Amino acid sequence: MYSAIVFLPLIGALIAGLFGRWLGARPAGLITSALLTTGAVLSWVAFYRVGLSGEDARIPIMEWVRSGELQANWSLRIDTLTAVMLVVVNTVSALVHIYSIGYMSHDDSQPRFFAYLSLFTFAMLMLVTADNLLQLFMGWEGVGLASYLLIGFWYHKPSANAAAIKAFVVNRVGDFGFALGIFGVFTVFGTISFDAIFASAPDHVGKTMEFLGYQLDTLTTLCLLLFVGAMGKSAQFLLHTWLPDAMEGPTPVSALIHAATMVTAGVFMVARLSPLFELAPVALQVVTGIGALTAIFAATVGIAQNDIKRVIAYSTCSQLGYMFVAMGVGAYSAGMFHLFTHAFFKALLFLGAGSVIHALHDEQDLRNMGGLRKSIPLTFALMVIGTLALTGFPFTAGYFSKDTIIEVAYARETEVANWAFWLLLAAAFLTSAYSWRLIFMAFFGKPRYDEHHVHPHESPWVMLVPLFVLAAGALFAGYLGKDYFVGEDYAHFWRGALFTGPDNHILEHAHHSPAWVVWSPTVMMVAGFVVAWFSYIAVPSTPAVLIKTFKPIHAFLYNKWYIDELYDLIFVRPYIWLSRQLWKIGDGRIIDGLGPDGISARVIDVTNRVVRLQTGFVYHYAFVMLIGIALIVSYFAYVYWAQFWKGY
Amino acid sequence: MPPALAIYAPIFPEIFLALAAMALLMYGVFGGDRESEVPGWLAVLILAATGALVLMQAPGAVQLFDGAVIVDDFARFMKLLILGGSGFALILSFDYLRDAKILKFEFPVIALLSTVGMMLMASANNLISLYMALELQSLALYVLCAFRRDSVLSAEAGLKYFVLGALSSGLLLYGCSLVYGFTGTMSFAGIASVLQTSGSNIGLVFGLVFILCGVAFKLSAVPFHMWTPDVYQGAPTPVTAFLAAAPKVAAFAMLIRLVEDAFPAVATDWKQIVIAVSVGSMLLGAFAAIGQTNIKRLMAYSSIGHVGYALVGIAAGTPEGVKGVMIYLAIYVVMTLGTFACILAMRRKGGHVEDIAELSGLSRHQPMLAFMLAMLLFSMAGIPPLAGFFAKYFVFTAAIQAGLFWLAVLGVLTSVVSTFYYLAIISKMYFQEPAANFEPMPGKLRFVLAVTGVITLFLFIPINLLVTAAEAAARSLF
Amino acid sequence: MNLLLADYLPLVIFFGVAMFIGLALLAAPFLIAPNHPDSEKVSAYECGFPAFDDARMKFDIRFYLVSILFIIFDLEVAFLFPWAISFKEAGLFGFWSMMGFLGVLTIGFVYEWRKGALEWD
Repeated sequence: MYSAIVFLPLIGALIAGLFGRWLGARPAGLITSALLTTGAVLSWVAFYRVGLSGEDARIPIMEWVRSGELQANWSLRIDTLTAVMLVVVNTVSALVHIYSIGYMSHDDSQPRFFAYLSLFTFAMLMLVTADNLLQLFMGWEGVGLASYLLIGFWYHKPSANAAAIKAFVVNRVGDFGFALGIFGVFTVFGTISFDAIFASAPDHVGKTMEFLGYQLDTLTTLCLLLFVGAMGKSAQFLLHTWLPDAMEGPTPVSALIHAATMVTAGVFMVARLSPLFELAPVALQVVTGIGALTAIFAATVGIAQNDIKRVIAYSTCSQLGYMFVAMGVGAYSAGMFHLFTHAFFKALLFLGAGSVIHALHDEQDLRNMGGLRKSIPLTFALMVIGTLALTGFPFTAGYFSKDTIIEVAYARETEVANWAFWLLLAAAFLTSAYSWRLIFMAFFGKPRYDEHHVHPHESPWVMLVPLFVLAAGALFAGYLGKDYFVGEDYAHFWRGALFTGPDNHILEHAHHSPAWVVWSPTVMMVAGFVVAWFSYIAVPSTPAVLIKTFKPIHAFLYNKWYIDELYDLIFVRPYIWLSRQLWKIGDGRIIDGLGPDGISARVIDVTNRVVRLQTGFVYHYAFVMLIGIALIVSYFAYVYWAQFWKGY
Repeated sequence: MPPALAIYAPIFPEIFLALAAMALLMYGVFGGDRESEVPGWLAVLILAATGALVLMQAPGAVQLFDGAVIVDDFARFMKLLILGGSGFALILSFDYLRDAKILKFEFPVIALLSTVGMMLMASANNLISLYMALELQSLALYVLCAFRRDSVLSAEAGLKYFVLGALSSGLLLYGCSLVYGFTGTMSFAGIASVLQTSGSNIGLVFGLVFILCGVAFKLSAVPFHMWTPDVYQGAPTPVTAFLAAAPKVAAFAMLIRLVEDAFPAVATDWKQIVIAVSVGSMLLGAFAAIGQTNIKRLMAYSSIGHVGYALVGIAAGTPEGVKGVMIYLAIYVVMTLGTFACILAMRRKGGHVEDIAELSGLSRHQPMLAFMLAMLLFSMAGIPPLAGFFAKYFVFTAAIQAGLFWLAVLGVLTSVVSTFYYLAIISKMYFQEPAANFEPMPGKLRFVLAVTGVITLFLFIPINLLVTAAEAAARSLF
Repeated sequence: MNLLLADYLPLVIFFGVAMFIGLALLAAPFLIAPNHPDSEKVSAYECGFPAFDDARMKFDIRFYLVSILFIIFDLEVAFLFPWAISFKEAGLFGFWSMMGFLGVLTIGFVYEWRKGALEWD
C-alpha cells in the first residue's frame, strides 16, 4: 500500500509526460487525477493505521548506494510524521489535480502540466518517506526541480523564466548548506541512516568538530548547516526572496507547492531530525529567531502588496515562520500541527484566489477588483472561510494550531522565545489585517475592473468541489486534530516519531499559560479585522492618507524591505560584473584569444606565408632546395669542425 | 631450369615485369594506334602475376649480382605494396584517360617500367643499383606527368619535375661520389664496415647529406618538396594518384635500407637530418594545406605531411620505427588511392573538376561517395578506429620508445592542425548548399573506392596481421 | 720508366697513322677534285640551319627527335667498346648481359620505327 502511495504519482507523471501528446489534454488530467485521488484515499487509510492504530512500517525498495562506508538503501520510513505528511501532500495534491482540470482547461500543454504536477508529488513523497539523508536529499532536489519546471511552466513569459531561475538559484544556496550538513553528518557519524544517527547522537553532545578552521560544537554546527537547507526550501528570512516571485507559476502550483507542501519540507526536515536538533539548543534558538523574524517580516510586507497572490505568498512565508518558532522552542508537534492545518486553509486561499483570477480573466491586481461578492458568491464564501482559519477565528483550524504556537513561544521562557512571542503576536495582528484587507479589496466596495468587458463568473464545479473539501479541512482539521497533535493523545499518536528531551515539557507548560496569553491572539485577530474594516469599508480614504503620511515606511514595506535590491547590489551585480569580466577578458581574450581563436589566426597567418613561398618558378624551387642543402651541410660542417678544434 | 639461371630466381619478378612490359609495348605498337583498355588491363594482370611471383618466394635474404641487389622480407613487403599501389592506380586511370582522349597503350607500359624501377629501389644494395633503379623510376614518372601533351599544366608539371628531378639526381650522384671517395666502396655493407673501423669524417657526412637530400626530393620532404604541389596539380589526376602512392613506398624502402644498412655507424648524424626534414614536412603539410582551394594541390600538401609522419618512424631508428613506417606506408597507400578514386569521381558533363568548393553538399546527391570520402579524410586525420589512426599510432609509439617525445608531441599537434582542412572538406560536403550534381561514379572507381574504403574502415579488426607482417619484414634489416 | 713509355708506343703509332690519313684526305681534294665554287658551296655548313641568323629562331622539333634517337645508339656503342675489350673476362654472364641490353634496345628501336619516328614526314 505504501509503495502504491509513493509510486502512483510517478506512474501518472510517466503516462502524462510520455504519452500525453497522444492521449490528449483531458485524459491526461483525468488519469493523473484518478491516480492521485487513489493515493490520497490510501494516505488516509495509512494515516488511520499508523497514527491511530500505531502500526509503524519500514518498506525496503532497493539497495541503492554502497560505496566504502557509505551505504544508503531506498526504503520507505512510515511513522506518524510520515503519515501526516502523506495525508497533507496527497490530499492537497489530488485536490489541486482535480482543480487544475478546470483551471488549466484553456492551456495548450496540459499533459505537460499534469506530468510535472505528478512528478512533483512523487518527489515530495520520496522526501517525506525518506529513511536516510541521501533519500531525503534526493526528494528535496526532486521537488526543487519540479518547482523550477512549474514556476517556469509558461516559458514564453520572461518573468516566469526569471522567477524559475531565481527560485532554483536561491534554493541552491540553501541546498549547499544542506549538502554540507549531510557531509558533516557522514563525517561525524559515519552513516546517513536516520536510525543510526539518532541512536548515536547523544554521544556527540558537547563534542567539537573542526569546520572552516574553527573548533565548533558538533551538533550545533551540523544542525545549523542542515537548517540552512530548510531556510532555503521554506523561504525563511534572507532566503525567502524566491517565494513571492514563484507566483509567476500557475495558481494551482502556488497552492500545492508554494503553500501546502514543498515549502513545508524545511519544517518537516527539522521535525524529522528533531533528535539532533533537540540536543543542539543553540541551533534551536537560531531556528526560533529566524522563524519569528520571518513571521513578522513577511506579515509587514504582505500588508503593502497589491497582487492577490503575492499577499497570500507573504502570508505563507509568515506562517512558515510560525512553524519554525514552534520547532525552535521544542514544540515540534505544534509546528507539525500548524503545518497540517495550514496546508488546508492556505491551499484553499490560493485556489480561491485562482478562482477569482479565473473569474476576472487573469487579473491579479487587488486594485482592479472590488465588489465581487455578488458575482461570485461561492468563491467569496470559501475565501472568507480560508481567511477565518488563517487569522485564527475561534474553533477554525488556525485557532488551534496558531494559538498553540503563540502559547508555546510564551511558555519557553528564554530570551529569544520571549522576543518571538511578542513578534508572533504582532504578526497575528498583521495577518488578520492584511487577510481582511484582501477580502475587502476584492469582494467589497465598488467594482474597479472594466465592467463592460469583464463579466465575472463563478468557476465550474470541477474547481469548486476541491475548494469545498479544503474548506471543510480549514474549518474542522484543527478541532479534530488538536488532541492527537498537541493534546492528551500526544504520546500515543506520535510514538517517538518526534523526539523530545526528558526536560522538554513545553506543551504542558503551554497548557497552563495565563489567560491573557491564551486570549491575546484572538484579540489581535479582532484588532486586525477592525483596522482593515475601518480602512477599507468604513473610511475607504484611510489607506491613501496613511500612505501619504508614512511614505518612507510604506515604500520600505512595499519594496519588501529592499531585500531584493540589497541582494542585487551585494550579490547579483558584482557577480554579473565578475562573470562579464571572466567572459570578456578571461574567456574571450585570454582563453579564446590565446587558445582557439589565437591559434587558428596564427595558423592562417603561417599558411598565408607558406603559400606565398610557392611561386611557381622552377628556379625558386631549385633555390629553396639548394638553401636547404646548404643549411644542412653548414650545420654538419660546424659540428664536425667544432669537434675537430676541441682537440687542440 | 638450368642451375645457372636458378640462382637468379629471387629477381624473377622484376625480370618478368620488365619482359612483360616490353612484350606489352610490342603488342601495343603492332596492334595499331586505336584507343583501348586492353593494354591497361593486361598491365594490371601483369602486376598481379608479378605480385604472385613475389608471394611465392621463400622467406629469407638472398644477394645477387655481387651484392648489388638484395631480396629479403623487407624488400618483398615493400614490393607487394608497390605492386598493389601501381595496380590500383592503373585501374583508376582508364576512365580519366578516355575522357582526356589519351587512352594510349604507352601509359600502362611506362607505368610498368616505372614499377620495375621502384621494385629495384626496394632491393638496391649498393649505390650504383640504387641510382639506376631510382632513375628508371623517375624517368618514367617524368613522362607520365607530361602525358597529357595538349595540356599546358601537364607539360609544365612534367618539365618542372624533370628539371628539379635532374637537379636532385645530380645531388644524389655527387653524394654517392663523395661516399665512394671516402670509403672506396659502393656496396652498403662495405660502406658500413669501413665506417665501423675508421669512423666517420666530414667528407663522408657531406656525401651522406647530399644522398639524403636527393632521396628527400623523391619523398617530397621539406625543403625538397617545392615541386610537389605544382606537379600534383598539373599532372593528369591518375598520374597524381600513381605518383602519390607507389613511388613514395619505393623511396622510403630505399631510404630505410640505405641508412640502416650503409650508415648505421653515423646514425646520430642522419637522424638529425631525418628529424629536421620530418619536422619541416609535418609543419608544412599541416599549415600550407589550409590555404588550398584545389583538391589535388591539397593532396600534395597532405602527402608532404604524411611523409613527415612516416619519417618520424625512421628518425626513431629502431626496428619498431621501421615497422611503424611500413604500417604507415601500407595504410597511406590505401587511403591515398581511395581519396583519389573520390577525386576522379568529381566529374561533370564538361569534364573533371578539382575545386574543393565543387564538393559542396555532396552528401545530398551522392551520400555514399560523401560518406566514403569523409571516412578516408577522417582516417587521414588519424581519427580512431579508422586505419589512419593506427598508422600514426605506431610511428609515434616508436618515436616515444626511442626517447623522441617532443617529436611525437609535435606530430600529434600538427595532426590536429591538419584535421582542420580535412574537416573543412567534410563540412563542405555535409553542411553546405549542394553544387551541381556529379556524373555517376564509374564502376572501376567504385571498385577501388570500395576496396580501399573497407580496408580503411575495418582495418582495426585484422590490424594484427599487418603488424605481424611488418614486424617480420622489419626484422630482416636488423 | 722506359718500360712505361714503351707501353704507350702503339698509341704513338696510332696517332701517327691517324694524323697521316686525316691529312692525306684533306690534301687529296686540293690536288685531284674539280673546283667549281658557288655561293651555296662555299658557305659554312650547319646541320639544317642557315649558319648565320638570329639565335632565337624557330626550327623544326623533329631535329630534336632525330638527335635524341641518335644519342641512344651513340651511347650503345660506348657500352659496346669496353664490353668487347673485356669479353674474355666477362664470360658467359657478360655475353648474355650485353645480349639482353641489345635486346632491350632493339625493342625500343622497333617501337620508334613502328611509331614512325624515323620518318621525316
